[in-house]
Amino acid sequence: MELQVTLQKRFNNFHLDVEFEVQGERIGVFGPSGCGKSTLVGLIAGLSKPDRGKVILDGETLYDGTKNLNIRPEHRRVGMVFQRPSLFPHLSVKGNLTYGLKRCSTANRKIAFDDVVEVLQIKHLMDRGVKYLSGGEKQRVAIGRAVLGNPRLLLLDEPLSALDDSLKFNIVPFLKDVCSTFTIPYLFISHSLLEMQIMTDQVLNLSDGRVLEKTTAEALVRARMGESMAGYMNLLRLTSPQPVDGIYAYNWGNQQLLIASGDNQPEGLFELLSTEIILFKSHPEAISARNLLQCRVIRTFEARHRVGVDLDCGGDGHLVAEVSRQAVEELGIMEGSEVYAAVKATAFRKLV
Amino acid sequence: MKKSVWVSFFAIMLICLFTVPALAAGINVSAAASLREVVNELTGNYAKQNPGVDFQNNFGASGALAKQIENGAPADIFLSANMEWMDYLKTKNLIDEKNVSTFAFNILVFVGKPETKVAKLQDVVKLEKIAIGSPKSVPAGEYAMEALKKAGLDTRLENKLVMAKDVRECLMYADRGEVDGAFVYKTDALQLAQNVKILFIVPQELYSRVTYPMAITREGSKKSDAAAFMKYLHSDGAQKVLLKYGFSVK
Amino acid sequence: MLGFTPADYSAILLSVKVATTATLLSLPFAFAVAYVMTYRRFRGMVALDVAVNLPLTLPPVVIGYILLILLGREGLIGRHVLQPLGIQLIFTWKAAVIATAVVGFPLMVRPMRTAMEAIDERLIHVSRLLGAGWFDTIITVILPVSVRGIIAGSVLMFARGLGEFGATVIVAGNIPGVTQTIPLAIYEYASSPRGDVMALSLCAISIAISVVVLVFHEWLARRMVRRD
Repeated sequence: MELQVTLQKRFNNFHLDVEFEVQGERIGVFGPSGCGKSTLVGLIAGLSKPDRGKVILDGETLYDGTKNLNIRPEHRRVGMVFQRPSLFPHLSVKGNLTYGLKRCSTANRKIAFDDVVEVLQIKHLMDRGVKYLSGGEKQRVAIGRAVLGNPRLLLLDEPLSALDDSLKFNIVPFLKDVCSTFTIPYLFISHSLLEMQIMTDQVLNLSDGRVLEKTTAEALVRARMGESMAGYMNLLRLTSPQPVDGIYAYNWGNQQLLIASGDNQPEGLFELLSTEIILFKSHPEAISARNLLQCRVIRTFEARHRVGVDLDCGGDGHLVAEVSRQAVEELGIMEGSEVYAAVKATAFRKLV
Repeated sequence: MKKSVWVSFFAIMLICLFTVPALAAGINVSAAASLREVVNELTGNYAKQNPGVDFQNNFGASGALAKQIENGAPADIFLSANMEWMDYLKTKNLIDEKNVSTFAFNILVFVGKPETKVAKLQDVVKLEKIAIGSPKSVPAGEYAMEALKKAGLDTRLENKLVMAKDVRECLMYADRGEVDGAFVYKTDALQLAQNVKILFIVPQELYSRVTYPMAITREGSKKSDAAAFMKYLHSDGAQKVLLKYGFSVK
Repeated sequence: MLGFTPADYSAILLSVKVATTATLLSLPFAFAVAYVMTYRRFRGMVALDVAVNLPLTLPPVVIGYILLILLGREGLIGRHVLQPLGIQLIFTWKAAVIATAVVGFPLMVRPMRTAMEAIDERLIHVSRLLGAGWFDTIITVILPVSVRGIIAGSVLMFARGLGEFGATVIVAGNIPGVTQTIPLAIYEYASSPRGDVMALSLCAISIAISVVVLVFHEWLARRMVRRD
């Protein structure tokens, strides 16, 4: 997917003025509330009219202010999922799902109804009215509905923001699976760095109606590390839990992690804050933390008042730890140093 | 502030409810619609000759007027366009029986646009719409219906009759061209018709003679001026006015 | 039954016929007006708003008289459109329908607008992005979701239409069998000293019909709620 955008729109006190070009399948649009993310996405979808500019998607000009060209939303083949599912109340789940499918020309119908239903696991909801679905079920149906319209670009406008945490990370795998199975590129809008980390490769950082930079979620997270109390969030996808001593041991790289909040689900997504990792210069003989990992420092990086330490924990396992500048000097931590990372079993938070 | 608002409110209410209109001896006349101009002229003359006497003239279909009087509307003198409504009020004891007399006579005619090809009563069935006073309360309509029934034409006019609330409305419908013709009195046609003319006179043998009885009501019998005015209505002077407008007096 | 004359029966039938026809005729126009007022912005919106709501505040006789001036033989529309085409509207049941429709129009538009304004804008966006053009969206989304407002508006106009007198008597006249609806029949009886019994009988019929209509409306409203 290739998207070239030059847009200006002014209304009330707000002025959107952006220019960017992105290529890829998983693009993020990140910024605080009111920075213009939703406005931008609405303009790309054709739901509102820019003052001037150009929008070119996969080589087709959707909007050109100079030529008075403005393709209507129903012809843009751009899909959208909102914060709230906005399902059609007068149609059943099936009616909602097939709404876009029916209006898609047969030439463009590449996605099969049954496949989408399968991936989103909504088969049992088919004939229900939409009022009796749970929040998560509604959002899954909304995703299915947008996907079945066979869009060439999916705009996800804060689709997880209205859900509570456990539900949020429940939906994430559905979203990722659907988009990867049916190869639908998307623009994911959010004000949550964590969601950026999980869902996107490249990120457009928006502020006050302007694009500050085109970067990656990783880079953003690292830059923010020093500013936030939480620091850097390590996201770990762990499998094959074994019950041990009342808690669970998961495989990670070529090691095992003991996690208090684990359960017997075959796979889980865990969050570990960089501030929860304690570094030792040499092997501490006795320590209460249940996890002690032998790591090598890949590099260190500055983040405001703190220092981030990129650790290679062997076998594809990476962690980012966060220590004070003083600690770095005292322990002599630098590229190539061997350190031990200690993490309590209770420090991991299970997201999904 | 609230208190003074309430006080003003009540003051206004009291004033409205209890103010008695400061009329000098007022006489209320209820008369058939076709008598509008002639009665106004007569009351005007009388008032000029007798300062201190005021008139309130109320015109409408005689049946409607009778109902108003029955329901308590103020009327000292009642001039009806047929005996029926006078008799009606008599049975309700609202008329001073001693004082019923005949005021005038009239003739029923049919008016329409000059180019209308209608020359006699039988021709009206050719027309699309005919205005007639509602026979339930308008004497002109009752007379017309009587004539149509006698001529055997009433059944052929179903769905063609436009009901008017009084004879003047009939004339107005015809004058404005909203109907093809109307049954009105000769006096109405002579006086007020602008775009229509009398196409034929309804044969007198088909309906009872148009008679205007007049009487003092029971209420009016309490007023001496009412009796005096009634006397005036019998006078030569009054009859001259009637003749001027096209009414008959004998 | 109740001593009704054939003219009275036709008055009852005529009332229902006129009110029903006026309601059905007005539906597409009222819907279009409600749609435009809800979803389109343009200069002169205020003027349209005032025009649509004017019949609510005007005395019905004024409306009747204005219609008479427009549609009569000498009227603006009468002279240039109706006469050449040989169409006679004044003093026909069609005029009664027009008078009823005009008087009841704002009553129909209002609930429709309310229902449309309550529709989440995102629903419209979604439907457009799924490939529906603006007309498609109207038929498949706006109309079904605002159906409660449509029904409410229809019932209001129908009920108002059953009772229409002022405008009707002026522009359609009081013609038994043709334009004499229940209110006109009652008026005629009420002007006549011996007509009270008949007037009351017709009043009873009028009340009965109104009750039936309102009960139907309630039932329909409840059914819609349950379905949700």
